[in-house]
Amino acid sequence: MSETPILTIDHLVKHFPTKRGVVRAVDDISFDIGQGDTLGLVGESGSGKTTTAQCVVGIYPPTSGQILFDGAPIGVAYNRRSKALKRRIRIVFQDPGSSLNPKRTIKQILSVPHDVHRIGSRHDRLSMMSHLLELVELPPTDYLYKYPQSIGGGEKQMVAIARALATNPRFVVLDEPTSALDVSVQGKIINLLSRLGDELDLTYLFITHDLSLMRNVATRVAIMYLGKLCEIARTEAFFRSPMHPYTKMLLSSIPVVTAEEELLKPKKIVSQGEIPSPVNIPTGCSFHLRCPERLPICSEVDPEMVALDDDRVVRCHLFPGS
Amino acid sequence: MERLLDVRGLHVGFKVFEGYLSVLNGVHLDVREGERVGLVGETGCGKTTTVKSILRVLPMPPARIASGEIRYRGRDVLKMSRRDMTALRRHELTAIFQDPQQSLNPVFTIGTQLRDIVRDSAIGRGKRLSRKDVEARCLQALRETGMPDPERIMTNYPVQLSGGMRQRICIAEALSSNANLMLADEPTTNLDVTIQDQILRKLDQLVEDKGASVMMITHSMGVVRDLTQRVNIMYAGSIIESGATRELLDNPMHPYTQGLMGSVPKLTGEGVTEGIPGRIPNYLDPPTGCRFHPRCEYRMAICESEPPPFFDIGDEHRVACYLYGEDA
Repeated sequence: MSETPILTIDHLVKHFPTKRGVVRAVDDISFDIGQGDTLGLVGESGSGKTTTAQCVVGIYPPTSGQILFDGAPIGVAYNRRSKALKRRIRIVFQDPGSSLNPKRTIKQILSVPHDVHRIGSRHDRLSMMSHLLELVELPPTDYLYKYPQSIGGGEKQMVAIARALATNPRFVVLDEPTSALDVSVQGKIINLLSRLGDELDLTYLFITHDLSLMRNVATRVAIMYLGKLCEIARTEAFFRSPMHPYTKMLLSSIPVVTAEEELLKPKKIVSQGEIPSPVNIPTGCSFHLRCPERLPICSEVDPEMVALDDDRVVRCHLFPGS
Repeated sequence: MERLLDVRGLHVGFKVFEGYLSVLNGVHLDVREGERVGLVGETGCGKTTTVKSILRVLPMPPARIASGEIRYRGRDVLKMSRRDMTALRRHELTAIFQDPQQSLNPVFTIGTQLRDIVRDSAIGRGKRLSRKDVEARCLQALRETGMPDPERIMTNYPVQLSGGMRQRICIAEALSSNANLMLADEPTTNLDVTIQDQILRKLDQLVEDKGASVMMITHSMGVVRDLTQRVNIMYAGSIIESGATRELLDNPMHPYTQGLMGSVPKLTGEGVTEGIPGRIPNYLDPPTGCRFHPRCEYRMAICESEPPPFFDIGDEHRVACYLYGEDA
């Protein structure tokens, strides 16, 4: 990690008041991402990973807490952000089928960021769009005048990536970019993203629920559960020695395809219980109801994030820190 | 072991405005008594069409079963009368579909739906259960799937339950009919890994207890490796490779299977391969010969003209690819 992180999330909280109570989607999380890193944010549905991402891109203003980009606070809603900032932080959504307008050609789709941010003269636009398509390995002459419906899911996602790159961003949020795609297509997208990351010096916040995928793309991994972080560590260390009981449960639940992988999984932990509703989060540690290693204190006191060695942060009473 | 289900040369297509979609192109597969078989393939390869053909629930038209045979315990399913078919679906076959939201009726409580199944399947066996017995069996079925507080669940509507709970209801329904063969069509695809793990374990154990057979349809190689003894790999409407699960996944032979296995991200973190170039063919005008040949790096002249037959490469491992032909 470089000295100054490109993005710092400091005690971020996002609550949604509803008729049935306050949904604590993101509840006091802190982490930072260094320039050129890929932080993998992993969690099950309802864990708040997408809300975190949406706060970063400004779809929601945070309830409290701060988001710093390059040291400057950006914790405001999208309509109050400067265009320069919006150019820097971009997002790729999960399902390219619904994030691309079906009635527009790819050329029209790619020209929107250029129009909005007034990039390039009209004259240059076509060559810029061709360049974008070349970046994502789609031959421009074949694709510029096609409609999204006539290309495959993987190709659509590549167009969505090209659109995100149109403003020359430094930070890209990838919200489950491959979970709507088949594995044979996923590989291509992942390799494309990591190549682009190196070439254009991008920093990624990569959201997924697929831990095996995370192993192959992220430099650091953060695990979320019910709006809170459980564990953050560098990828190799994370998979070598998971510490938080939830992380262990997750890792031991992954179905794997080879015998070598099976050796890497922690001892089988029988997964039990349901994920509680974020309206009604259990007292103390939110995981204690499902935790196989719970202590008496877990149901009463919510543990703090504790920094251990090896660039690792864990939030669990089993690791009280020094 | 006796063959429970035997599908031979199944061709199914759909007549649509643009023409004829030839989806299933000669599916061969079988399930033996007490066996767990996997059917793996990517989106649009015809997995669900296969299941629906077996259950005979495809809407016809537009669907058309052009040729082929489906035999259940030797009886030809495609030639059965509607009455026999209903009986078959009631007692012998059962299915779990991907989206529990769609297979549960939103306007009836779980109890109503479960009681109907239990009562009907008993009537089919010529027994009439008392109200008490029905209730007891429902509760037991729910309890077997690890559901907390089954009495309360019986009075709930599907919307009141989470995705994992709903899928467990579907499993409870499927199990309460005491069927011999369960067709599980992506039963855990929409669920989180820890919940998926719970449900698969439960399913596995219950199937073991009841001695039923399962055909597990999924796109996840990991799930198949975990749960099945034999696996069939499907591509563009035909089975292209089949064999004992672990053996096949450790030594994939067909270029498609190899590509697929290479693109699964592994925990060992060696990176992912580029995947398989191209995409699944258009069923309006599928490639001649082997349907995989436009995407295959090893294609030969014969691949473009003749669909490959199965070549045995030992120990039940069969591959439909000319690379493994006698004279290749």
